[in-house]
Amino acid sequence: MLDLRPDIEFKKELERISGAPLNTCMQCGTCSVVCNLSPDVKPFPRKEMVYAGWGMSDKLIGNPDVWLCHQCGDCSTHCPRGVNPADVLSATRQLTYRKYAMPLFMGKLLGKPGLLPIAILIPVLIIAGIIFAAGTLKIPEGPVNYSLFFPHAWLNASFSVITLLSYLLACFGFGRFWKDMNIHHSGTGPKMGLFRSFWGVKNDIFAHSRFKKCEENSSRKVSHFLVFYGFILLLLVTIFAIYAAITEKYPLALTNPFKIMGNLSSLMLFTGLGIMIYNRIVAKPGSERSTYTDWLLLGSMFLLTASGVIVEMARFLDWSLAYYLYFFHLVCVWFVIIYLPYTKFGHIIYRTIAMTYAFSGRRK
Amino acid sequence: MKPILVIGGGITGVTAAVELAETGKEVILIEKKSYLGGKVIQMHNYFPKLCPPACGMEINFRRIKNNSRITVMTHTELAAVSGKKGAFTVNLKTVSRYVNDLCTACGECVAICPVERPDSFNYNYGLTRAIYLPHPLAYPQRYEIDDNFCEGESCGKCVEICKYDAIDLNAKPLEKEIEVHSIIGATGWENYDASKISGLNYNKSLDIVTNVEFEILLSDKGPGEGKLVRPSDGKPPKSIAFVQCAGSRDENYLPYCSAVCCSASLKHALNIADMLPDTKVSIHYVDLRVTGRNEDFLRRVEETKNIELVKGKIARVDVDPESNVLYVEAENIAEGLKKKEAVDMVVLATGIVPTANIPGTIKNDDNFMLTNQQNGIYPAGCAKKPMDVSTSVKDGTAAALKAMGK
Repeated sequence: MLDLRPDIEFKKELERISGAPLNTCMQCGTCSVVCNLSPDVKPFPRKEMVYAGWGMSDKLIGNPDVWLCHQCGDCSTHCPRGVNPADVLSATRQLTYRKYAMPLFMGKLLGKPGLLPIAILIPVLIIAGIIFAAGTLKIPEGPVNYSLFFPHAWLNASFSVITLLSYLLACFGFGRFWKDMNIHHSGTGPKMGLFRSFWGVKNDIFAHSRFKKCEENSSRKVSHFLVFYGFILLLLVTIFAIYAAITEKYPLALTNPFKIMGNLSSLMLFTGLGIMIYNRIVAKPGSERSTYTDWLLLGSMFLLTASGVIVEMARFLDWSLAYYLYFFHLVCVWFVIIYLPYTKFGHIIYRTIAMTYAFSGRRK
Repeated sequence: MKPILVIGGGITGVTAAVELAETGKEVILIEKKSYLGGKVIQMHNYFPKLCPPACGMEINFRRIKNNSRITVMTHTELAAVSGKKGAFTVNLKTVSRYVNDLCTACGECVAICPVERPDSFNYNYGLTRAIYLPHPLAYPQRYEIDDNFCEGESCGKCVEICKYDAIDLNAKPLEKEIEVHSIIGATGWENYDASKISGLNYNKSLDIVTNVEFEILLSDKGPGEGKLVRPSDGKPPKSIAFVQCAGSRDENYLPYCSAVCCSASLKHALNIADMLPDTKVSIHYVDLRVTGRNEDFLRRVEETKNIELVKGKIARVDVDPESNVLYVEAENIAEGLKKKEAVDMVVLATGIVPTANIPGTIKNDDNFMLTNQQNGIYPAGCAKKPMDVSTSVKDGTAAALKAMGK
């Protein structure tokens, strides 16, 4: 049965994050029409605007359609009432990270700017603790050699374990998300197997084929593509590096194909992130709202890439600050990788799940 | 008491002028165009009675004609105003129509005039000669010359043929300063420029028309001469879609609701059902703002065959340039389906834009004159807010009452 009791707190939070005057929506459906990504049957985001305006949090959060949106902003541009549906859907996605965070406080920790110092302090203390435990907590003399200060075996092992733990816990949240979609949007529910459904959305993910249909802000697709593949490449390089740290001589030579791949991917990341930041600040201010959650991911990824490149250069330049920079770099890694399920970065999981779910319900 | 100035010869201004004169006041009624009757006289028929507006307007013209207290000045605008209630000084500018009041409207001049111009009275459907009668019921019943098209003295054929010395191609504009007691501003409206609305492609097809243009298509002045046809090919349309709130209630265009377009489209639907009963009509609305006695009118439309009322705004109109088929795209909100449907004609229900141009008056953000102005200046009708004909008549009467006070 449809639960019409409004969740007022949810609505207020949605309005606060999105800045959208939800009550101003007059349900004309312009947004559904101008959206090239919206399906013909039960299109979005018009119906999502009812859920939002009525504070129907379950209907809105347990909703695959929220993730079929790539926030091009076509709907917001054409909205006759200035309600900015794109920002409402974006705010809904933020509240999704928070709702399914496991443990729950992690969602709050990374969703509220006031808790940022604590979110930083946690990796700082743990990383320092690991170095201390390994007995190398003293800046070494002589030419820069990171392995004298950073016990790679210890760090790699502990990071791997913590990451796995974080993702394992997060899986419970992802499972609840799938279950909620089944309860609240059973009409679009699975009609085919999970793997076949995932196979169906592979082009949408790897070729960005849905993203291409955006009219407004079409440059977003390019920058996302660069960051997406830059990150995947870097991830592969990192996994190899962990392996290489055990078996081969570390650091790798500049001519090593993996080193070349690593440097290339950081260039891709730099370019992509640069365009993203430029678009948000300079090119089209106001066309999409930039919130704390957006900046947290964009900022941590940018700092991760920048510090990585500087750390690499610092080694060649024998720069004495190098050890501190490496430490900073590790904190960034923590933010991006270990906090992944609780930040905007979690969209790689939630979006994949929701797209798979929608495809399994033959929703196109 | 000095005369009272009424600006605007539409239904509001005409009502105010007649009411004032019939209570014994002297009235000067000025009108920018060459004829009285404003937007109303251009309409095919009224909602909800479906009777022609010319009928009621004719009665008003008769009341004006028989009342020596009303001075009608067409082609005239207010240029400047100063003073206060009881002693306003106004400057009136009259552009020349090149035809004086000796004209008997015999029509000899038209037959000989070599130049044609688009018939602006009929929203440019059809042509007239450069010398023309604005429309058959025009008051004053007198010809005029459009100097944008007339070749002037080098031609002069009309001057030669006119038996009454009614044409003066050298007539100069006039300026006049008079004192008036008070001023009624019934400056009226224009419909919103549909070409500004992105996505509706008004300029891409002759078969995408505005609601006011559709009035002409329904009438015997349209291209079908009394039969409803598509402007592009002259064939009767088999399906017509109405785009409600075309540019209205939209902060990108007109942020407000024009109050009459819903009822007007319902009326159009009944007109179509009357003329082409097999033609499918769909009215795509955001909300059906049909209030008061017009609610019965809505019930009547709902019961009429082949008229469909659909909740969900048409946000895109596409034109297939090859076949000239039109596609309208909207979400049918009740069904939860996004649909792209082919239709023969599209009517854009455009809103009311005020043409308030009285110097020194206070206007709101949307350019409507506020009700409360300097004492002695009284806005009325659609210059104040969007309203239908019967409300405009009441508003004109109310303004008359205020204007005659001390």
